[in-house]
Amino acid sequence: MSLIKEIDLPGIGRKFQVNARSGDKLVIVVHDDGRREIHHFDNDDPEESISMVTLDDTEARRVSGIIGGMAYMPKALESVDVAFDEMVFEWYKVESGAKAIGKNIGELHIRKKTGAMIIAIIKKDKRIVNPGPDQVIPEGATLVVIGDRKQVKSCKELILHGSL
Amino acid sequence: MEGHILFEIGLALMVVAAAGLLAARFRISIVPFLILAGMVVGPHAPVWGVLDFRFIQSAPLIQFMGRLGVLFLLFYLGLEFSVGRLLKAGKSIFLGGTTYMLINFSLGMALPFLWGWPLREALVVAGIISISSSAIVAKVLVDLKRTVRAETEMILGLMLYQDVFVAVYLSVLSGLVLRGSSSPLEVLKAASISLGFMLGFILIGRKLAPRINRLLNVPSDEIFMLIVFALLTVVAGFSETIHVAEAIGALLVGLVLAETDHFERIEHIVVPFRDFFGALFFFSFGLSIDPTSLDGAIWPALIAVVVTLLGNFIAGVVAGRKAGYSYYGSTNIGLTITSRGEFSIILANLAKAGGLLPLLQPFAALYVLLLAIIGPLLTKESKWIYSKLAVVFKWPAIKERKQRKQAMES
Repeated sequence: MSLIKEIDLPGIGRKFQVNARSGDKLVIVVHDDGRREIHHFDNDDPEESISMVTLDDTEARRVSGIIGGMAYMPKALESVDVAFDEMVFEWYKVESGAKAIGKNIGELHIRKKTGAMIIAIIKKDKRIVNPGPDQVIPEGATLVVIGDRKQVKSCKELILHGSL
Repeated sequence: MEGHILFEIGLALMVVAAAGLLAARFRISIVPFLILAGMVVGPHAPVWGVLDFRFIQSAPLIQFMGRLGVLFLLFYLGLEFSVGRLLKAGKSIFLGGTTYMLINFSLGMALPFLWGWPLREALVVAGIISISSSAIVAKVLVDLKRTVRAETEMILGLMLYQDVFVAVYLSVLSGLVLRGSSSPLEVLKAASISLGFMLGFILIGRKLAPRINRLLNVPSDEIFMLIVFALLTVVAGFSETIHVAEAIGALLVGLVLAETDHFERIEHIVVPFRDFFGALFFFSFGLSIDPTSLDGAIWPALIAVVVTLLGNFIAGVVAGRKAGYSYYGSTNIGLTITSRGEFSIILANLAKAGGLLPLLQPFAALYVLLLAIIGPLLTKESKWIYSKLAVVFKWPAIKERKQRKQAMES
């Protein structure tokens, strides 16, 4: 995905420049203190931003979840996995025979054992964003898992077999 | 009479905190306020009953905490410092940084020579004048929401370049100043000892990195912090015994620890200490300056400020234009890099330790006071300044926003 350009801002954070296919230009600055600045630029004037939004860390995560389709999956897509550099989001459906069903995230030690993290659980009309450690894995739900490819794979195995 | 040292330190911290509050109220960098606060109190300050603002008993202790502040400031610089990053930054940064240094360093050398100051004093002044405050610059850019602008990359690149320059320059200069000799052979010897110490330390540090990694592999934050701070103090203290500035020792520890896996964890724990002791450093620097001794320093400081503004602006515009930024972007570069702060004070402190002209401290204090306030102001008003300059130099005017036009039409 060459449409995103990354630039280091030493002492401040990192800048991501996105030239969208629609022709819009978006620049996101991730500050080391957790703030995010999102700027919108005019096509023919790369110097002055038209508008900007500042988000704190929590807000930025929420918004990223919405944009990533975690809260509401776009209807056009069946199952999704999104790769961003090494980072992968995967929508994983818990099959009926999976050993982890009925256990909670804390006792499975998902994050500790696999490194991956479940950031949302979607079941029919119910959505749990950012589930806590006592959240039980329900049958037939879709889990949104984040991690690198290996971590996500071992997380899926953990869900299926109940252990690694 | 037994002094109430804890109460005195408490009062000192109250003054420091009040200076911080004022700085926040006026939305100006905290550095000039801390120096000013230190200058206002001190041996000449009045005593109101138990409120003793002369800090006679506690002065050595405040001075010592300020000393720790320098260690933490330099340690942090070492952690953040990266030649690799500078190389990655590219040719335009390298060219721009070199242009900047050539112009401003020679101006900084020329001034003290014109005033008839000796060589070592001139070298210190050149450093004070040519090194911007990367902390103030970064803060101003964030506050003004300029981080997104294209030329900000160049500004931060120049800061990176200067940080590398500071590290090398401080080590050479500390050898010259602290040895206290002036024969060319002695000077050469002093400089080579400190450079040799630096290189040797970095090489050994690289070799030992895996071991340090294992040593630091402790889950307890408390013990982890103790090990890091012990390393920092021991190396800095040892450097001093061989006439290398302790600040350089701290910098070296930072450089070596930056190579370990624990880099982020160290950075995390060191920041509060840097901020606390750093504040006391600026305060104690102000405390060491007698306001009545400022007379002789006023003109040199004012002239140095004007020369710095001109030299920085020209260098910034030249570097920016060469790198392909617009006239407005280049103006931003030239104005933003004028802020001065921590490094200028550290250099003045070094001069004091080496017993150079006592005039250097009030000079540096006034110089930093002015530029730590003027620099951010110029940065903020860059659009207005550009519009005035554009008329003189026939630069293109800034495009008015299209949106406004559309809004008016509809």
